[in-house]
Amino acid sequence: MRHPFFSLLLALVLGGIVSALSDRIDPYNLDVLIGVGINVVLAVSLNLIAGHTGQFSLGHAGFMAVGAYAAAAVTIFLGPRLLGDAAAPGGLAENALFGGALLAGGLAAAATGLLVGIPSLRLRGDYLALVTLGFGEIIRVLLQNFEPLGGALGLNGIPAYTTVAWVVTAGAATIFTVGCLVRSSYGLGFLAVRDDEIAASAAGLDPARYKVVAFTVGAFFAGIAGGLFGHFKMTITPSGFDFSRSIEIVVMVILGGLGNTIGVVLAAVLLTLLPEFLRPVAEYRLVLYSLLLIGLMLARPQGLFRFRTPRPAPRA
Amino acid sequence: MPTPLLQISQATVRFGGLTAVDALDLTLGERELVGLIGPNGAGKTTAFNLITGLYAPVSGTVSFAGRPLAGLPPHRIVAAGIARTFQNIRLFGSLSVLDHVRVAGNLHRATAPWQALLRGRAFQENEAAMTRRAEELLALFNLERFRDLPARSLPYGEQRRLEIVRALATRPRLLLLDEPAAGLNPQEKIELVALIQRVHREFDLTLLLVEHSMKVVMGVCQRIAVLDHGKKIAEGPPAAIRRDPAVIEAYLGPDQATALFHH
Repeated sequence: MRHPFFSLLLALVLGGIVSALSDRIDPYNLDVLIGVGINVVLAVSLNLIAGHTGQFSLGHAGFMAVGAYAAAAVTIFLGPRLLGDAAAPGGLAENALFGGALLAGGLAAAATGLLVGIPSLRLRGDYLALVTLGFGEIIRVLLQNFEPLGGALGLNGIPAYTTVAWVVTAGAATIFTVGCLVRSSYGLGFLAVRDDEIAASAAGLDPARYKVVAFTVGAFFAGIAGGLFGHFKMTITPSGFDFSRSIEIVVMVILGGLGNTIGVVLAAVLLTLLPEFLRPVAEYRLVLYSLLLIGLMLARPQGLFRFRTPRPAPRA
Repeated sequence: MPTPLLQISQATVRFGGLTAVDALDLTLGERELVGLIGPNGAGKTTAFNLITGLYAPVSGTVSFAGRPLAGLPPHRIVAAGIARTFQNIRLFGSLSVLDHVRVAGNLHRATAPWQALLRGRAFQENEAAMTRRAEELLALFNLERFRDLPARSLPYGEQRRLEIVRALATRPRLLLLDEPAAGLNPQEKIELVALIQRVHREFDLTLLLVEHSMKVVMGVCQRIAVLDHGKKIAEGPPAAIRRDPAVIEAYLGPDQATALFHH
């Protein structure tokens, strides 16, 4: 992270190589890889909200849903008109359309994030968690009852535009953005607001502004992840973005260590791969998640991958 | 007479039935060093919270450099030029000593937040300048050797000093110190007096301090205002306050007052 541009470049090169070789890679492995990448985007973006800024949010799947539907709407309804019949599959026009769709999904989610950020100015802790939980459910119920976007049956026939290269790019962009933000003098304010709002405002920082920015930026990337997800699964339903999806992302962030970007990336990778190995006991996944969380809180409350923790000195 | 830097007129703060600050008048001129004292619960910290925008007065006004502060949120008041420290030290648990000072420099950041993503030359230069300024401030207060340590790992006296440095990093015209001597040992109190005098001299600012330690208040303040039950009962130079019968009464009753003020 010393040279953020370098890491970004490295990620893009790696993504390019994997994409170029994708014909020779087992499709199952590719699917897993894409799943990992999407979860990295989700976990790192939630980490900005919940980890760095300390605004515990249980509605991340809601932002993801907004992004998924907005992006899918762009490719399904606008795509044929924009591309015409001549566009080659996997060609430049198609990828440009997809890029635009992802951006639309991200922006739609960011606008929602802005909206949700506002109650966060008055609420904290458990109360904020409840409001964000409620928000996620509202999004799901709205989508379920909105027939133009498929209602409860969801949207089908979304083109399979998501490739490893797109996912790696999105993952790298998320890590880059969050990493650069929180390392800048400006971004230290996110941590300051989390640690002590009154002290932060005494240092001249506007806690409200920081929280809204965190929600908006975090939601933007969750929206991108939603767009990638929709164009990967080719079908989305409101129930796919329910409460348990949000919990999955929260578990990744807590497992990796709140505010620890590298830890959260590792946790996202681990928790995406784990179910693949645990396919035989898939029904017990949520039970395992809960046990994992309880065990973690007892053994390593600072997160699995956090090794340096500031030690508070005893107060006089 | 020039416009006073801070003017509190007839300000009242009430919590339910309790009047914490009662029709307070207080005026601070440019570069003054004033103490605010009073027994426990007299309303000193409430007065601070009133000035810094944490509480709103039910009546009366607070204005700074001729501008009313009513309705401004605390961070805007800091931006206007009033910085403070806290009675129970409030440091950021996850920030290093250096980052405490860097983050307080944000009011004077020359680049927009999004420039952190482009990492252009202007951004890099501004970041370097902010770090340099923070290091200079730390060095002035002998904190540079703790630069990369988590702030909470510092000894108590250094934590108090770091809070003052963080406040100075916002470049205030008025600095409010809320019981800076609380929890310090006698040696540290002597150092604190020297530190307050140095800050007052070198940073060209106005200081208002709330303090319990008579030694500190009598030692540094040019003028002292005394609060009791939210009301100002006396105001004047230290020598006059020391002899003021109303002050003596408020603190201990007439007999023991001499003992108190000569410690």
